[in-house]
Amino acid sequence: MDERESLLRRLPGAGKGRTGEAGAPPPERPLLPADIPPADRFAETFTASGGVVLRGTVEEALPALGEALRAEGVTALFFPEDDEPARRAAEALVPFGPFTVTTGVQVRGGDPAVTAGIRTADAGIAETGTIVETSAGGKTLLPGLLADVHVSVLPASRVVDSLGDALSPFAGDPPRNISFLSGPSKTADIEQTLTTGAHGPKKAIVLLSPPERAEQE
Amino acid sequence: MELNANAFGRNSRKSLADKGLQEALGRTTGRFSLHRAAAVAAFPGFEAARERASRVKQDVLDRLGAYLERFIAEAEKRGATVHVARDAAQAREIAARIARDEGVTLAVKSKSMAAEEVSFNEALEAAGVTVVESDLGEFIIQLAGEPPSHIIAPAVHKTREEVSRLFERHLGEARTDSIPALVAMARKHLRAKFLSAGMGVSGANFLVADTGSIVLVTNEGNGRMGTILPRVHLAVAGIEKVIPRMADLPDFLRVLPRSASGQAISSYVSIVTGTKRPGDPEGPERMHILLLDCGRSAILEGKYREVLKCIRCGACLNACPVYQSVGGHAYGWVYSGPIGAVLTPLLAGLPEAAALPDASTLCGACAEVCPVKIPLPDFLLELRSDARDQGLKTPGEIAGMKGYAAVMKRAGLLEALERVAGALGRLFAKGKGIAGLPYPLSGWTERRDFPSPAPLPFRKQWKIRRGAGG
Amino acid sequence: MEPKERIPVSLFFTCLADAFSPGVCHAAVEVLERFGAQVRVPLSQTCCGQPAFNSGNRKEARAMARKFLRSFPDDGYIVTPSGSCAAMVKHGYPVLFRDEPRMLARARAAGERIHELSQFLVDVLGVTDPGSDFTGKVTYHDSCHLRRGLGVVEPPRRLLRAIPGVQFVEMEESDRCCGFGGVFSIKHPQISCRMTERKIERILATGASYVTSGDLGCLLNIGGLISRYGYPVKTIHLAEILAGGARGTSPAAADAASTDPLPGSLRATGDR
Repeated sequence: MDERESLLRRLPGAGKGRTGEAGAPPPERPLLPADIPPADRFAETFTASGGVVLRGTVEEALPALGEALRAEGVTALFFPEDDEPARRAAEALVPFGPFTVTTGVQVRGGDPAVTAGIRTADAGIAETGTIVETSAGGKTLLPGLLADVHVSVLPASRVVDSLGDALSPFAGDPPRNISFLSGPSKTADIEQTLTTGAHGPKKAIVLLSPPERAEQE
Repeated sequence: MELNANAFGRNSRKSLADKGLQEALGRTTGRFSLHRAAAVAAFPGFEAARERASRVKQDVLDRLGAYLERFIAEAEKRGATVHVARDAAQAREIAARIARDEGVTLAVKSKSMAAEEVSFNEALEAAGVTVVESDLGEFIIQLAGEPPSHIIAPAVHKTREEVSRLFERHLGEARTDSIPALVAMARKHLRAKFLSAGMGVSGANFLVADTGSIVLVTNEGNGRMGTILPRVHLAVAGIEKVIPRMADLPDFLRVLPRSASGQAISSYVSIVTGTKRPGDPEGPERMHILLLDCGRSAILEGKYREVLKCIRCGACLNACPVYQSVGGHAYGWVYSGPIGAVLTPLLAGLPEAAALPDASTLCGACAEVCPVKIPLPDFLLELRSDARDQGLKTPGEIAGMKGYAAVMKRAGLLEALERVAGALGRLFAKGKGIAGLPYPLSGWTERRDFPSPAPLPFRKQWKIRRGAGG
Repeated sequence: MEPKERIPVSLFFTCLADAFSPGVCHAAVEVLERFGAQVRVPLSQTCCGQPAFNSGNRKEARAMARKFLRSFPDDGYIVTPSGSCAAMVKHGYPVLFRDEPRMLARARAAGERIHELSQFLVDVLGVTDPGSDFTGKVTYHDSCHLRRGLGVVEPPRRLLRAIPGVQFVEMEESDRCCGFGGVFSIKHPQISCRMTERKIERILATGASYVTSGDLGCLLNIGGLISRYGYPVKTIHLAEILAGGARGTSPAAADAASTDPLPGSLRATGDR
């Protein structure tokens, strides 16, 4: 505590209680062309970051999804236990592999299978092509963390326009983890050659379901 | 990291002669610069975001104490323990103590320049902890036993052959020239570490005061892993990394990835706040935040305070023609390029790094690309003047300057000397270029000719012309 | 152009051009007079003090700055064929005198009045065609102080493009530093030359016969390497291109023609 007190005493503004308004940031001007629906914009920007967007209902996307997973050598799927849309997608996907079903706990325990982790996204950000996942309500982040391929189920109704829009629900009281995921894990650390799958997933796929038939929850 | 800044001259000559490094530098910095330019051109809101980011950082400097106080309170409210280190020795001592108290034997680390500043890894290792760097570039140079040579591309100087040799020797992996295969090897090896480490160590791109959050901006995903999977999370950051509000973050996220590598956004942005909540399936049970002063509060009080706005994007390195020629190692410390030429003397002392402010042509390319508008060329000039005030210039240079000024005070004397030089030039150089100048100007003529002085200086010619009615 | 009043201009001819390339100074006078300026040349001027300021020797720089301010009248334009010298007065003098309010005011005033040559021609005199008979394929190097220090990017290009005999070609990385940096070229000659080599590569890639710029320091640096290694391109100052070759009539021209500094550099008479 000593060093902290000593430091704060040396710095401007400490000990005066509240930090105050301090020149609040100006309101964000709309960054996106207003005539493009956020979901369409999201599809553009997520693809630009190296991600893959499959549009339509989960049923409609299954063949393409199955093929994409097979192409990456995926043999097993996992999903959060309490994530109904992800469960339904995974179960419907099994015959398109065929894939086995494993659990996040097993993957975390070192299961060597090539996996796809499926999770419903908490939101999507159109500005940057970003999937938002948080731990609020005790949700797991393992699919986007540990899987070789990350599959996000994103209802179009959950797409917001900007980074600010995505953060404002958490003002004042964020959950422990908020993750913004924009495309696959990347590195160019060796000879400046872009490669995916450094630590996180090698491939990021979004199932972008249309607004009229938005998934419940 | 050990300081070797005053060897810049010698080290830069070594770098220029290193063909492999020269190729790597050409590949990297040029590409980063082009990508940055393209990303900025594609985003009409860039200048506005840059202006806002710069103003927010300026406000942070004006009220750093208040914002840090708030950050500490909010972080501790949510389960973190916040430590403050006055200097590197104290930082090392705190780090070792945390590892011991938490019973950690294996720590996985993601990128932190601040930790590098205080030789963090050595401190942990001395306390019996194995530290594994997880940023692919940092992992590579850790295996090689070298310091990073670029803020965001630490292994920019290593070829795939060199990397493969390292992986063969240290990881027992087969030789390959496939970069995806090399990345897969690192992924497998480091995954095992992440899953078994007792502590994840990270830096912090931003510290958010109004929520006590740490923000990590990465492309690889290792930052997230290290701050979510292990039981303990330790974040190391300089005190100046704070921003006032979560609502300020978007503008920084708009300028940082674009400035660093020309991306509209990095693959991952992780905002972590405190310890695991009841019901969270993942998350650290214990969280420590180590804030470093290490010379920053002193800088804040002086004329260079704006340098603390730096968000460590590396854009100035990529834009700097000197950095592009010699790479990061030549600057002899953690920070290189234009920001290093200013920060190193300020943090480590000007006498120990007086060579660095001179390592620039003051071309201004850095100031053009700095996302938070730090006036780097002005600071380089100021440091050169400080060097004179602190007696760090050679008597030869000072005598030369005094002589030069003495001549320039008298136009008549100047003209007389010019006419003598012109006559000598005509006599000896026969009006052609001069191939060899005496010390201390000999540096010029190593590979360049120097012009012979005009037989008659312009001022004399003008007098003649005026006399002739011209 | 027949102006009713002639605009008074004081020429700041720079120590480098004075000593090594008087032709540049004559050319500047010529071009200014061509467009209605009444050019005065205060002969008590010496040096703007850049070399001292840039190397951190502010005491000596201040002495030269005071001399500069004493040498020029307190009103009217000051024009100089040097981006770095204009930038020194504009940006460097306020730093030098930041603790002396009276000198600071004088410095700021001078900073308002000083212009680099091409900037003055285009922005103040409204010149669109320099009226030069220069012929040749020309590429242009943006000197750092002219481009970043003063924000002058278009005027030199506009003037060059307007000359009928000039085939203007942009080089890649035209705004990349040539490696001069004043004292840097002597303290770090290897890095400096590496940067100059890159600049010369870009110049040669254009196929131009001439490289020009608004800063003589850059041209002497680039020219010095060209001369040593015999590259097939010549340096020529922007003022000399703008003035053109029609200078044979003035008495000083003969003298000026013999003051070219380097074997590889050109007299301002265009291609033979």
